[in-house]
Amino acid sequence: MEVYEIFRRSGHKNPFEHCGAVIAPDPEMALLLGKECFLRRREGEHLWAVRRSDIHALEDESVLEIAADKSYRFASDYRDVVDKREAARRRVASMSWGGAS
Amino acid sequence: MKEALVSLVTALADDELIIGHRHSEWTGFAPHIEEDVAFSSIAQDEIGHAAAYYSLIAEVTGTSPDHMALGREPFEYRNAVFCERLNRDWSYSLVRHWLYDTADDVRLAALQESADASLAALATKMRREERYHLLHANAWIKRVSEGPVEGRTRLIDALGMCYAEALALFDILEFEDSILENNLLPCSSSELRGRFSMRATSELDDFGLPADVHRDLDDSAEFLASSSGDLIASEKDASSASARPGIGGRAGMHSDEFKALWDEMTSTHRLHPEAQW
Repeated sequence: MEVYEIFRRSGHKNPFEHCGAVIAPDPEMALLLGKECFLRRREGEHLWAVRRSDIHALEDESVLEIAADKSYRFASDYRDVVDKREAARRRVASMSWGGAS
Repeated sequence: MKEALVSLVTALADDELIIGHRHSEWTGFAPHIEEDVAFSSIAQDEIGHAAAYYSLIAEVTGTSPDHMALGREPFEYRNAVFCERLNRDWSYSLVRHWLYDTADDVRLAALQESADASLAALATKMRREERYHLLHANAWIKRVSEGPVEGRTRLIDALGMCYAEALALFDILEFEDSILENNLLPCSSSELRGRFSMRATSELDDFGLPADVHRDLDDSAEFLASSSGDLIASEKDASSASARPGIGGRAGMHSDEFKALWDEMTSTHRLHPEAQW
């Protein structure tokens, strides 16, 4: 018997999401049991079973930590661009390009 | 016509209700938690199918589905004795589950051709759900039959107890002549039994399980419809040693195992017949 992680998809445009695990002797049985355990109320329209031993996990989670300031990698850091652009447009509009006065 | 429809649908409904009840007794006791959930869910499906059949009867007769399920006397139930047997052990329940759902598939395929449109539509709907039951039963039988010798031996023992009794799912129904005349069923119960036993023996053969454990069965003990529509035992006494075991359910004759099940299943309803669920 092995542990199978069960993933389900709630709609064909949605990603598969992890919903639990079953212990089963093989993939076919894992799907049959996973269906009853996690989809019997029609919570999804598709099902995956993945042998847990086939999942490769990071050995050291600390590599995910970010040491220095990486704010430039986040969209939120560029929120003031809209204001800056508006200010620039206003500046351009108010400029005089010569002509009669 | 009306009594023929009620006779046919009552037999179908009672089979589903009683086997569903037996399946549900595994809740909390199945070999592992995943199977506990799966088998309990199958039990609920079968009882749900019974409810759908009882509603069909209620439309014709005006009785309530609750009364049909829980308000009758034991001799009024028409399920095959096969469905009411105690669970014994997991292998017995598995083999019964496999035989029952294989038989049910044969029966539902025929019912899809019924002249009664609502019965035919219901059969089509149920057969979709029954597909999972068959997959589940086949998956289990395949694995246990290919596994260690103990499991295989237990399957063979259970087949010895179950196979002949499963044939009684296709014993003649009350008002069978009228059922056939009105095309409620496209072919006779014994024709369906032939289809079932051909399919079951061939699939058991694929599993490498002995399908001929009961080849020497005496098939002459049958219940025949008398002119009054009652069923009478023909040829041989049903209790004689040579008779096929487990017959009589379609005529309301049940085992002591059924009496105990009925006592438990109907106890709340008998205490509070007016209760609404």
